Amino acid sequence: MAYEPKIIGFLCNWCTYAGADLAGTSRLQYPPNMRPIRVMCSGAVDSVYILRALLEGADGVFIGGCHPGDCHYVSGNYKTRRRMVLFNSIMESLGLDTDRVLLRWISAAEGKRFADTVTEFTEKLRQKGPSPFKTLWEV
Amino acid sequence: MDGTVKTGSRTIYELAVPGSDPEATLKKVFAHWLEEKKLDAILVPAISKTGAVTRSLVSAPEKIMATAPLLPAMGINGAGIIAEIAPDPGAKSKIGVLLRPCELRAVVELVKLQQVSLDGIVLVGIDCPGTYKTAQFLQIAEGASDFNNNFIRNQDAYTSDSRLRHACQLCEFPAPLVFDIMFGFLGMNPDEELLVITAGEKGAVLLAPTFPVPLEPRQDEPAARVEFINKLRRAREEAIRTQIRELDERLLGAENVVRYFADCLNCHNCMKVCPVCYCRECFFESDALNRNQDEFVRFSRSKGMVRMPSGTLLFHITRMNHMMTSCVQCGICEDSCPVSIGLSVLFKKVSRNAQNAFGYLSGRALEEPLPLTTFREDEFTTIGEG
Repeated sequence: MAYEPKIIGFLCNWCTYAGADLAGTSRLQYPPNMRPIRVMCSGAVDSVYILRALLEGADGVFIGGCHPGDCHYVSGNYKTRRRMVLFNSIMESLGLDTDRVLLRWISAAEGKRFADTVTEFTEKLRQKGPSPFKTLWEV
Repeated sequence: MDGTVKTGSRTIYELAVPGSDPEATLKKVFAHWLEEKKLDAILVPAISKTGAVTRSLVSAPEKIMATAPLLPAMGINGAGIIAEIAPDPGAKSKIGVLLRPCELRAVVELVKLQQVSLDGIVLVGIDCPGTYKTAQFLQIAEGASDFNNNFIRNQDAYTSDSRLRHACQLCEFPAPLVFDIMFGFLGMNPDEELLVITAGEKGAVLLAPTFPVPLEPRQDEPAARVEFINKLRRAREEAIRTQIRELDERLLGAENVVRYFADCLNCHNCMKVCPVCYCRECFFESDALNRNQDEFVRFSRSKGMVRMPSGTLLFHITRMNHMMTSCVQCGICEDSCPVSIGLSVLFKKVSRNAQNAFGYLSGRALEEPLPLTTFREDEFTTIGEG
C-alpha cells in the first residue's frame, strides 16, 4: 500500500477549529490526511500529546492556535510558542526531526490558510516519508 | 515571591579556623546557632553509628559534634527533603539547611514552582569540590583519618578525582549561587581561614551579636578563590565538551535515541529522586495512559507488534519537556538508575540547550521567572507564521 502520511491535528476551539469549519463550508479542497482534535486552547497541548502521537505512529503533528494577541484566554498562545521553542530544543538535542511538528496561527476567518496549511504539511510529509518511530521496535 | 536573595546586599567575612580543623570550626558555629536559639534545628550530613551516610536534623547543640558538615558523599539531593517538610508558608520554627550548590539551585527552582516556602528556612550554602556516591565514599574513607578535612585540604587532587560522581565531574558550579549565608574554602587554605558570605538580613542576623570564632570583614572574595573556581570551571567545561561529543555519537537520531533508553525498566526512579520533578502526582503514574489487554491487542494490530512495557521513551522525552528548564544537573537520576542509563551527561546537554534557548539558568536567582510561566510579545515571532 502506498505511503500516505497520517497527521494528528490539535486545533484551538476559538480560531483554528473555526477556520477549519470555514474551509469546509467554503468547499475548499484539502487532503484528508489530518485527524483533527479540538482543544480549548493551543496552550493546553502538553508535549506528552505531541510525543505520544509521534511515538505511536503519526507521521506528523499539527497544532493550530489563534494569532498572537488574539488568544481567547489572553496569553495561551504565547505560552504555546515558548513550549514549542522548548520542544524543538529538546528534539534537536536528541537529533530528532523537528519538521514533523508544525505550529501555525490560523484565525476563524482564515479558511483558505487552513486548507493551504494542511495541503502543504501533507505534501512535506509525503516527501519525507514515514516517521522512523513507526518501525523502531520491530523485532 | 520570597526575596531572600538580593545580590547587592552581600557581605563578606574571613573566618578564623581554630586548631586548623575546618570541619570542627563549622560545627562550633552550628552549635552556637542552636545554643543562641538563632535556629531551632539545622540539617547537616552525618554518618550514623550504624555506618550509614545520612542527613540529620539536629536540634541539640551537643549532637552537632558527631555530624560531618564537610562529608563529601551525596545519596540524594537535599532539596527534596526541604520540599517534603516545608511545602507551605507559615512555619513557626526556623531551621538552617546546609546544602551544596546544586541542592541550593534545586531549592530555588522549587520555590518558583511553589513547592517550597522559605518562611522557616535559612539556606546555609557551602562550597563543593565534588561528591562520591555513598557506598563509594564509605569505601574510600574507610580507615582514613580526618578524611573530610583532608578532602578540602587537597582540592587540586580531589576536584579531579575520577571516582567522584559522574555529575560532579561535570559540575561547573562548585560555589553556591543563592543562599542566606555560605561558607567557602575553594582556592583557600582551609586550615587558616574560611570564607563567610551573607546575603540579606536572614543571613546577617546569624553573625551578631556574638559569634564563637573570630570573624573579620573583607572587601572581596580572595583572589585565589576566584582564580581557583575559574580554573576548575574551565577544566570541567572541557570535560563537558568532550563527553557531549562522545554522547552525540551514541545519541543522535531516532534509532540511537531508542537504543540509548533501550534498557529502561520503566521504574520511574529518575523521576522519583529528581529534586525538581515537582508534580505531587506524576502524570505517568496516573491511569491516564493505561491500556488494558484488549486495548493493547488493538494497538498491537495497528502495527503488527508493540514493545512491552510500552511508553518508556514517551516517559523520558516528555519528562525532558517538563523538567529540563529547571534541571540543576545534580545527576542523582543517573545514580539511582538500576540499568545505568547515562543521564548525567545527557541532561547536562539537553537542559543547557533548553535553558539557553530562554536565556535562563536554573537556580541562578529567585527573581528570575520560570521560562514556561512567562513570555514576551516580541520574541520568537517567526514561530507559527510561515
